[in-house]
Amino acid sequence: MNFNNSLFAFIKIVVILITISLISSCSSKSNTNTFSVFKNTIPSKEKMNTNGSLIMTLAGDPTYFNPILYTDSESGSVVGLLFNGLIKVNEDLAIVPDLAEKWETKNNGKEWIFHLKKGVLFHDGIELTADDVVYTFQKILDTTTNTVRRSDYVINGKPIAFKKIDKYTVRCVLPETFAPFLLSMGMGIIPKHLLEKENINTADFNRNPIGTGPFKFKTYKTADNVLLVRNDTYFGRKPLLAKIYFKIISEANVRLIALRKGEIDYATVPPKDFEKIKAENKVNVFVYDQLAYTYLGYNYRKPPFSDVRVRQAIAYAVDKRWLIKSIMKDLATPVYSPSHPLLWSHNDNVNKFLYSPEKAKQLLSQAGWKLSNGILKKDGKPFVFDIYMSKGSTTAEKAATKIQQDLKKMGITMNLRVLEWSSLLKIINAPKDPKGYDAVMMAWSLGLDPDSYGIWHSSEYPKGFNHNGYKNKEVDKLLVKGRQVIDQAARKKVYARIYDLIAQDQPYLFLWSPKDVAGVSRRVGGLSKPGPAGLFVNIEDVFVTK
Amino acid sequence: MIKDILVKRLLLLFPLLLGITLISYFLMVLAPGDPSSMMLDPKIKPADLVRIKENLGLNKPVIVQYFYWLKNVTQGNFGYSYINGRPVFQVIVERLPATLILMSASLFLTLILTVPLGILAAVYNRKHIDNVITIFTFVGMSIPAFWLGLMSILFFSLILGWFPSSGMLDPMRINDSIIDRIKDISLHLILPLLTMTVGNLAGLTKYMKTGMLNVLNQDYILAARSRGFSEFFILWKYAFKNAILPIITILGLSLPNLVGGSFIIEYIFAWPGMGRLGVDSIFMRDFPVIMGIILVSSALIILGNLLADISYYLVDPRISYTKRS
Repeated sequence: MNFNNSLFAFIKIVVILITISLISSCSSKSNTNTFSVFKNTIPSKEKMNTNGSLIMTLAGDPTYFNPILYTDSESGSVVGLLFNGLIKVNEDLAIVPDLAEKWETKNNGKEWIFHLKKGVLFHDGIELTADDVVYTFQKILDTTTNTVRRSDYVINGKPIAFKKIDKYTVRCVLPETFAPFLLSMGMGIIPKHLLEKENINTADFNRNPIGTGPFKFKTYKTADNVLLVRNDTYFGRKPLLAKIYFKIISEANVRLIALRKGEIDYATVPPKDFEKIKAENKVNVFVYDQLAYTYLGYNYRKPPFSDVRVRQAIAYAVDKRWLIKSIMKDLATPVYSPSHPLLWSHNDNVNKFLYSPEKAKQLLSQAGWKLSNGILKKDGKPFVFDIYMSKGSTTAEKAATKIQQDLKKMGITMNLRVLEWSSLLKIINAPKDPKGYDAVMMAWSLGLDPDSYGIWHSSEYPKGFNHNGYKNKEVDKLLVKGRQVIDQAARKKVYARIYDLIAQDQPYLFLWSPKDVAGVSRRVGGLSKPGPAGLFVNIEDVFVTK
Repeated sequence: MIKDILVKRLLLLFPLLLGITLISYFLMVLAPGDPSSMMLDPKIKPADLVRIKENLGLNKPVIVQYFYWLKNVTQGNFGYSYINGRPVFQVIVERLPATLILMSASLFLTLILTVPLGILAAVYNRKHIDNVITIFTFVGMSIPAFWLGLMSILFFSLILGWFPSSGMLDPMRINDSIIDRIKDISLHLILPLLTMTVGNLAGLTKYMKTGMLNVLNQDYILAARSRGFSEFFILWKYAFKNAILPIITILGLSLPNLVGGSFIIEYIFAWPGMGRLGVDSIFMRDFPVIMGIILVSSALIILGNLLADISYYLVDPRISYTKRS
């Protein structure tokens, strides 16, 4: 679960479901690269300690130090430093080579050939070869492996074929063109020689990993700390840090105290503490975008929300900007479609349904809803609905209360129902039509690739993540096309149209995209450009002064 | 005689444990969600989750799952965690030292404070000393551990800088000498220990005081006084043993806590103990680990009760566990 922003989880980003409770938020106004720096003093490299230790935190215990098995962001933070994929994502969110030196694609994106760098050593001194790459992906495809990554390498029910051509060359043959494929090659490569005779689900390797990354695993004291040390034989730039500790501190307030006290070097800052930490001026503060958005999702297949005019009316009725200003303390950006301005696929020209109670009233009246004594009614029935949300986030609950007030002005009664996460999922994921809820307030994180077939395609309902039952034939077709077009400019057009249609249909009331606030000790230098991938993208360059 | 009781009670342990684990297993599995529901990702096809469930055996009927589990346990295999694939036994055992250190230190501190405080409050009943102790106990009972913990970190760690904010051992000191490590652990221990003891102390002191008061009002104490024994002698020889009975009950019941740990304290102070393991496992629906903890703690509860009963018998020979004719 993602209380903290994950540091390196961007190596393999897909849209990951997160509850609103887990999203923290922050400030900025500009639309392009939105990050802010406050009175920060970054140390210069001359003062660098060549034997320095960086002290990070984790919000909970990591599960598997194995890139193909873990599902939590805590493991992701550690695994990202221990393993490499064929490609990686840099601080500008672009795909760049990692273990692969170069690659080429043939046959309209159905065939990919990766040329590996030579002389890359695992932490035990054995060279990484094409065998390890093929083994990794075959292990993911092996149905006895308890991995949730398998479907990343299965296209329409057919697995991708991974073949070794020679010691340093791997060929991937896709059953059909699949544009998001390259990004999935960021999967960390695991050593065949250590795992082929083991049961990967319970192997000791998952606790004592051997990778190729800039840092080597040293110790993990459960519920206490994880220690990594510099990999002196790393194939990339040699890391400047000698050690990285991850202290496991679950309580967010205690993490912040530990940062202020200088016991740790990094912690996320909850919005409520943002002003205080800034004013205290003890640590460097960074604010940057998260690729995620919070939404209010309607049950698309059930009245009253099966009527597009009602959904659009609610979009007009809710004052999103005021919501962000008052509840999110301006530490979020409004969103109008399932996309983010930082992404190459973003379309800013969608219908935004900017706040207009008058237009909302008109649409509701067109839909047959009449106001009497302050209560909106149709065929004698009042407009009353329940909204389900996960417990644990006061921000989300406050926001829901604000929306409740806006809707009250329209004569609509919205009741809040706060549930435990598993209970909420049980209602949302129940494989029946229609589902047993009116509306939910949740959040999605956004991948670097715009493919969001799983959320919007009508075949993903009632089983799948299109839990509210959205259906638009043109969107269905475009979602399939979006996967088959390789050229980015052409693909951008496809997604521009998808976002247009979705914004018009309003299956969700798109609310905001939160921001992360990170506090970093003033002894830490060499950070990457603040962005959704965090501050430690170039971990090799990070150093401490004492 | 005591031997018979012991044997009987120990034999009862097995059917009791069987019943407890069976009910727990059903309750756990019937609660919404399973480990695979914690792995949501829109690119994951439901088929992936179904496959993982099958691999974990979660598609089988609950009763079958339970008997699989039971069969493995009787063979000494507690299974593997669904969350991290590690042997449950290992997962539980590695948490024991931290919990034992914190809980036994707290129990010890509570005991050496609660007995004199309770006696003082009873002897000086409705006098200043008693009032101070009563106020302290009520405040101690009313303050939530969560708040007290955070405040003590804020005050003693951030503002005064006397103690580290959290953790058990500074990771930088892993390679220090054993003496230095013990020093560092002690330093880390103080804040969680104090937070925990304040809460425990409050309740127990009340018990101790009430027990002592009851005894001091008995006729035989009056008789002892009239014989001119010193007050200390009366308290120690006549009153204390009788007054300690309720405390023994509570100690017996708190034995499982020694191993169970305290979630709130461990969560706030990042103390690597069992309490966090238990609650985290429940949140993540890590069935094998939950069952392992239930098994261990219910066995301890039963043993704790047994120990308390035996101590009763030793302290007060009038108490008999044999059937009266």
